[in-house]
Amino acid sequence: MKNIFYFFAIIALLASCQKVIDIDLNEANPTPVIEGNYTAEDSTVRVKLSLTSSYFNSETSNFINDANVNITDDSGLISNIPSIGNGMYELQSYIPNFNTTYTLSVSHDGTTYSAQCDLLDTVSLSEITYEYNPGGFFGSDAGYLVFLNFDDPINISNYYQVVLSLNGVELNALNEIFTQDDIFSDGNTVSRPLFGGDFFQIEDTVGMELRSIDQDIYSYLNEAISIFGSNSASSAAPGNPYSNWNNNALGYFSAYGNSRKEIIIE
Amino acid sequence: MKTIVLALLLIITGSSFGQKYTLSGTIRDASNGEDIYGATIRVTNLSNVGANTNAYGFYSLTLDRGSYEIEYRSTGFEAQSFQIDLLENISKNIELDIPSDVQQLGEVKVNATKENNNITSSGMNVTRFDPKSIETIPVLFGEKDIMKTLQLTPGVKGAGEGNAGFFVRGGGVDQNLILLDEAPVYNASHLLGFFSVFNSDAIKDVALYKSGIPAEYGGRASSVMDVKMRDGNTKKFGASGGIGLISSRLTLEAPIVKDKGAIIISGRRSYADLFLGLSEEVPDDTKLFFYDLNAKANYRITEKDRVFLSGYFGRDKFGLGDDFGFNWGNATGTLRWNHLFSKKLFSNTTVVYSDFDYEFNIGSGNDGFGIRSSIQDWNIKQDFTYFLNNNNNLKFGINGIYHTFKPGSLTGKNESFNELILFERYALEVGAYVQNEMKIGSRLNIMYGLRYSGFNLMGSGNAYDFDDKGNKIDERSYDSGESIAYHHGLEPRISMSYILSESNSIKLGYNRNYQYMHQLSNATSSSPTDNWVPSSNNVKPQIADQIAIGYYQNLKRNMYRISGEVYYKYMANQIDYRNGAQLILNDEVEGDLVYGIGKAYGLELQVEKKKGKFTGWLSYTLSRSLRQFDDINDGKEFSARQDRIHDISIVAMYKVNNAIALSASWIYYTGDAITFPSGKYEVAGTTIPFYTERNGYRMPDYHRMDIGFTWYMKERKKFEHNLNVSIYNLYARENAYTITFEDNPDNLLETQAIQTTLFKLVPSITYNFNIK
Repeated sequence: MKNIFYFFAIIALLASCQKVIDIDLNEANPTPVIEGNYTAEDSTVRVKLSLTSSYFNSETSNFINDANVNITDDSGLISNIPSIGNGMYELQSYIPNFNTTYTLSVSHDGTTYSAQCDLLDTVSLSEITYEYNPGGFFGSDAGYLVFLNFDDPINISNYYQVVLSLNGVELNALNEIFTQDDIFSDGNTVSRPLFGGDFFQIEDTVGMELRSIDQDIYSYLNEAISIFGSNSASSAAPGNPYSNWNNNALGYFSAYGNSRKEIIIE
Repeated sequence: MKTIVLALLLIITGSSFGQKYTLSGTIRDASNGEDIYGATIRVTNLSNVGANTNAYGFYSLTLDRGSYEIEYRSTGFEAQSFQIDLLENISKNIELDIPSDVQQLGEVKVNATKENNNITSSGMNVTRFDPKSIETIPVLFGEKDIMKTLQLTPGVKGAGEGNAGFFVRGGGVDQNLILLDEAPVYNASHLLGFFSVFNSDAIKDVALYKSGIPAEYGGRASSVMDVKMRDGNTKKFGASGGIGLISSRLTLEAPIVKDKGAIIISGRRSYADLFLGLSEEVPDDTKLFFYDLNAKANYRITEKDRVFLSGYFGRDKFGLGDDFGFNWGNATGTLRWNHLFSKKLFSNTTVVYSDFDYEFNIGSGNDGFGIRSSIQDWNIKQDFTYFLNNNNNLKFGINGIYHTFKPGSLTGKNESFNELILFERYALEVGAYVQNEMKIGSRLNIMYGLRYSGFNLMGSGNAYDFDDKGNKIDERSYDSGESIAYHHGLEPRISMSYILSESNSIKLGYNRNYQYMHQLSNATSSSPTDNWVPSSNNVKPQIADQIAIGYYQNLKRNMYRISGEVYYKYMANQIDYRNGAQLILNDEVEGDLVYGIGKAYGLELQVEKKKGKFTGWLSYTLSRSLRQFDDINDGKEFSARQDRIHDISIVAMYKVNNAIALSASWIYYTGDAITFPSGKYEVAGTTIPFYTERNGYRMPDYHRMDIGFTWYMKERKKFEHNLNVSIYNLYARENAYTITFEDNPDNLLETQAIQTTLFKLVPSITYNFNIK
């Protein structure tokens, strides 16, 4: 739906000027931010813990290294995730059990935060295709546009996150990733062009990762994308994205399986 | 004794049982045969006895048998007086002339005779404009615009540059009922609000009701803007038009049969895209333009019957080569039949069709898809005016509107898209009202009325139930015509004025309004894609109660008008959205809505100079508009976006001589309330703003000065023309259109705030002509 807001881009073109301004913003109380990912592909749980900082602060995030972080599976078995420094916590060889629910919990400063996520069956990428595009659209240079291709399972609601990589570097920032649901394409063979950023060029190695995520994460990513850069023209009501964490912690916990492909454009 | 009884009998029959007769007729403009709305008919030898013409120029005055001095008067015309011996019912049609010295200027001006209608009328808080009276006020791109001028009056606030719509007394943009010849206009702007859809050449009269709204109007919570199109010249052919930098317009009018009927056609086309081509950043095949067409015909079949057919058709088109197309527009049609059942009973029957739709086409070839959405109304209305006697003027009527909401359909050219059609919704909105305009003694005028309104949302279609978090928990399906939800209510309205003297009065107004349809728009900018949703099993009707009191004083023989008004408005069942709500192409959009209350209050002051070489006004509004929602801001009260605390506008027009007129305007208002981040954090290596409160910040204050210069060139007998030059934003104030927050591209550890400004110093030139 991002495309609709190309329309607002024209308004921006009409704009006679843009400038950096000084604004006094309030200092919010530091609030925990928990970014938890359980990747079935390498059986690893990675958690990053930090605190919010004031908006114009240029220091790096305030990491939390002294929290107690655990993951609990469907059967109630609790596993501790040790800190590896810089706010990171990592647990390897944690064997995935698809179609079950995992609970991540973080205890810090006397408060325990927890979030649940379903690890769902993985949908496979079929292939990466690409097409030459002469460019010119909003000043873009000519190049190759890649297409996401997969068969959506019928009669189940599926949600996806797509991450591209260029010559081995993941394009995983919020403004680079793609989300996809199957409301308009349930059970179809989907072929979707991935617009965004620059087009690819001959000899580029393009990787694509299709993550099968749960609905909460899908909504979270879309909300986060919509407020990224605070471009409120595309957001109905600017607010913090709805998180699966309780006790007002920010961030998300996602457990997902994925499928990867790679091609060289020629 | 017998003689005394006889004398008493004579007195009684002469007074209370005296024969009453009715003087009635229509008042028209002698130059073109147009009906004059709101002209006054006054019995000069009695105090506070008189009548006003209705929208069709009709008046009716019932008096005792006798001899009277009757004066016919209207703003901008030479008054006429007659000695009338009312010995039977009399029909008298009057044609009023424009004073000859004013006529030469090619411009209608307030005449020099006493004008204190603002003091004596009971209608409170009606802001009324004749498009001709504002033609020298400077405007963006030189296109005179009645909606922009209304935004310079107290209590009315424009939604800002690049935004359609306006706010009235703290209410939302969707709470204004905008009527064009009785047809609702769902999107009153072109080019994202830079122009309104109203072509001033085709408009006769605009009235904006802010409080004490008459009972004949219903369906919106905040205000009514009633726009009446011109009827066309019944005397002779006429042509007028203008050529501007960004748009041109042409109006043609002619009698069908002289003095019996006329036809008028008015069209506009903009060519803004020609200028886009000059910018290197914009692709060559960019389209961005609008056109609109107003047409109206009227014919007087008999002295008692008259029919009107009017229509509006307008469209905006925007495109980028084959990759992207976006167009939207309104179409309305109104068929009216005026009938006089008697000298006292005036009837108007109206059938209205109104349609608004928008369409997107994105991508070309196999990857493309299109989105379509529309709202359609069929409206049947029967209104009566019964001129009971010279103290009571009754209005009553009924109407029914059948709404069809088509919130959206998506069609892809590629097989990976399933066709998606959001279910259509159907509703019948009904209304019935009765209202009396009453004079008590010579000082008190009261207009009181009651409106009943109801809204029946019907199948076929589905209805959903949602839990507290907005997740769908139940789904029911309904057959065609089956009621899904019925909402209704009584809307009392009262408006009264107490005349303290010929030059000052006090007015009081109360109104309750129900609104059954709600527009969903995002926080900072409105766009044609803002869908309307009907009240349903989840969405309750908005209810607004407003009380207002005002004091009005005219000074120096009505040369100056001073007014002060205060109001308090309480709004129930206001609508807002959950964070991250998806408003487009979402069948379950009701789950994303949350409900709360709103209140607005304020003080409005205005000083206006009506006569002389120098005219204009100064207005100041001090107001608040607050909202409270359980689900937003932890239940704490927050500012509505339009909570502008101070709002000032100054409009000055100076007529140097018969050939040159100068004008200037300046506006200032407190920046809109807006949500800014109070912190930041990182997710997926990306900086995300951290919000702590809704609308807790302010945009920078807005101010701007515009100037205009009009040169009336030498006039011929049948031809007049002028040249208008204006500069928008004279001192190039960089007003914020948006403020966005982003990473500093030069130093990714830093974040910065970026302000975007739309217009700095926009000059324009327009040539206008009129063939008489």
